Amino acid sequence: MTFNLEIDGQIRQVEIDPADPPGQWRIRIDGEEVEADAHLIRPGVMSLIIAGQSHRLVLDAHPTEPALHAGPQRIPYRVEDPRSLRSRRRHAGSASPLPVRASMPGRIVRLLVEKGEVVAAHQGVIVVEAMKMQNELKSPKNGRVAEIRVSPGDTVAAGDILAIID
Amino acid sequence: MFRKILIANRGEIALRILRACRELGISTVAVYSDADRAAPHVLEADEAYRLGPPPAPESYLRGDLILDIARRTAANAIHPGYGFLSENADFAQACEDAAIRFIGPRPSAMRILGSKTNARQAADEAGMPRTPGCVHGLASPEEALDVAAAIGYPVMLKAAAGGGGKGMRAVLRAEDLPSAFASASSEAERAFGSGEVYLEKLIERPRHIEIQLLADENGHCVSLGERECSVQRRHQKVLEEAPSAVVDEDLRRRMGEAAVRLALSAGYTNAGTVEFLLDGDRNFYFLEMNTRLQVEHPVTELVTGHDLVHLQIRIAQGEPLPFAQRDIHLRGHAIECRIYAEDPGNNFMPSPGRITRLLQPGGPGIREDSGIYEGWVVPVDYDPMLSKLIAYAPTRALAIARMLRALDEYVIGGIRTNLDLFRQILRDPDFRAAGIDTGYLDRLLAASSPDQVNPASSAPAIAAVAIFEATKNASNGSAAALPSSASAWKTAARREGIGGTDWTPRRP
Repeated sequence: MTFNLEIDGQIRQVEIDPADPPGQWRIRIDGEEVEADAHLIRPGVMSLIIAGQSHRLVLDAHPTEPALHAGPQRIPYRVEDPRSLRSRRRHAGSASPLPVRASMPGRIVRLLVEKGEVVAAHQGVIVVEAMKMQNELKSPKNGRVAEIRVSPGDTVAAGDILAIID
Repeated sequence: MFRKILIANRGEIALRILRACRELGISTVAVYSDADRAAPHVLEADEAYRLGPPPAPESYLRGDLILDIARRTAANAIHPGYGFLSENADFAQACEDAAIRFIGPRPSAMRILGSKTNARQAADEAGMPRTPGCVHGLASPEEALDVAAAIGYPVMLKAAAGGGGKGMRAVLRAEDLPSAFASASSEAERAFGSGEVYLEKLIERPRHIEIQLLADENGHCVSLGERECSVQRRHQKVLEEAPSAVVDEDLRRRMGEAAVRLALSAGYTNAGTVEFLLDGDRNFYFLEMNTRLQVEHPVTELVTGHDLVHLQIRIAQGEPLPFAQRDIHLRGHAIECRIYAEDPGNNFMPSPGRITRLLQPGGPGIREDSGIYEGWVVPVDYDPMLSKLIAYAPTRALAIARMLRALDEYVIGGIRTNLDLFRQILRDPDFRAAGIDTGYLDRLLAASSPDQVNPASSAPAIAAVAIFEATKNASNGSAAALPSSASAWKTAARREGIGGTDWTPRRP
């Protein structure tokens, strides 16, 4: 199995094959070979021994931002998927409509713009409150407010689309 | 003796109180909002009753509903914890009228000491040093200008009903005072329902030192030493310790005696805390009194060896304090970290959501007062504190080492937490040298870049991701499986012939 892994701001090519006995793995990171002995303690919690060094690695299982806890560090990562690369490129062009998404669960406090209004990139669009703190969600691009899907008082979940900027 | 106590709170403190009740053989009644149906305090209580929808004014602040549940369940007493109704004198009065003991001071003492302006008057009567400034609410910006001119700038505007940094403004020059007065007053009005503000001289670079008191109903009051709470972010305590590195026996005795005098003059009973500012010359000034159990009470418990919640309950039952001032000795050093669901890398934005992974620290000298479990969804409706991690050791240096060790064992997945912030503080040379004041943390955060150091070696992390990816679909047989503790148990169970009916051999 071969895939690209984005970790610590770098893209690494990783090749992995099971070895004998079960639990042993041969892994090549950018061509450099590592032999690892892995044991699953419970779902998401792995004991890994590499060259006699013992590591505890824990999957964060964050719904949108996968990360791994290695010792004191929380290391975000992304397994490269060619489709997501294409969609990111499209975002950068900003010619097509882009959503304003809730970054965390909360309640809508107020709307700072109206449908049809012209907005600049990074201009505040919607104010969301969570845990008594208010968070201003910004426009992802220069454009016009094509749609507002929420009203003050609504409860929203992380990742919900609150508005569309065209 | 109390047979049953209703706990009018949630989160870690509800669980903390519940455990104390269990230990004393008292049965417990939990109350909960719709957001907390699956909360740990509900799970662990003997009885549990719904209050209402998630917002606090419709649930944990509904004193009428809580009293009603207490009557229906024949609870003898109500423990309010901290926050919510804990400093509400009207609620304490309503409990008294219903012949249900409020575990805390009497309403009259709460009224004197709960308002900061009233408490400043009481401090004067008790002969306690306080910051220069007024002892009454300010009627107008003009009056504020007169008082400020008399004591000299810089000054601090504060809400009389305040707490948690709300309605507080530092003012350096007279021309800024009128607008600061207006904004502090309206912020206080919104937060506390009272716009009363007063003014005091700003102490430069103070330390926040507070004295824990216990007073029984026979007029016997003792101090249980100090806590140092100078590590604050925007006037909110983040890390506390006991004892303070700068308080010696003599200063401890003088602060303790002043605090006891204030409490006795107001007829105070039960647990309470007198907060002081300490200036660079180790002069102390009365700040305010908190008429309840504090979040940071565990550090005092560890260095004194006394369980404050047990003692609160026993005092409320009318028992005398089981010790005298001369019996109180501080031993060792304790540090508490307040673990929050917030993202230090993103301006400390709250980070509610599901805790998908939880590995909790343990071992010698570690105590965790927690209100979470793996799978628990941290609600958006309340304070985002998850747990309090407390380390106890013979010396401050060993307590720091122990806390750092425990932080490295602690994993909270699925949400962001401030665990890294504590590593940064505990490794900082100024903190280690106890060179701290209430502005210390804000300066540390302003000076440091939010970027993390690069890991020494990323090979184990990359290998782990690769193995997790390669075994993702192991359960349906489409990829290689990983040996696990669960499968080893199943293998053994099968060999012993004790079940394992769902066991199927897997080939790598």
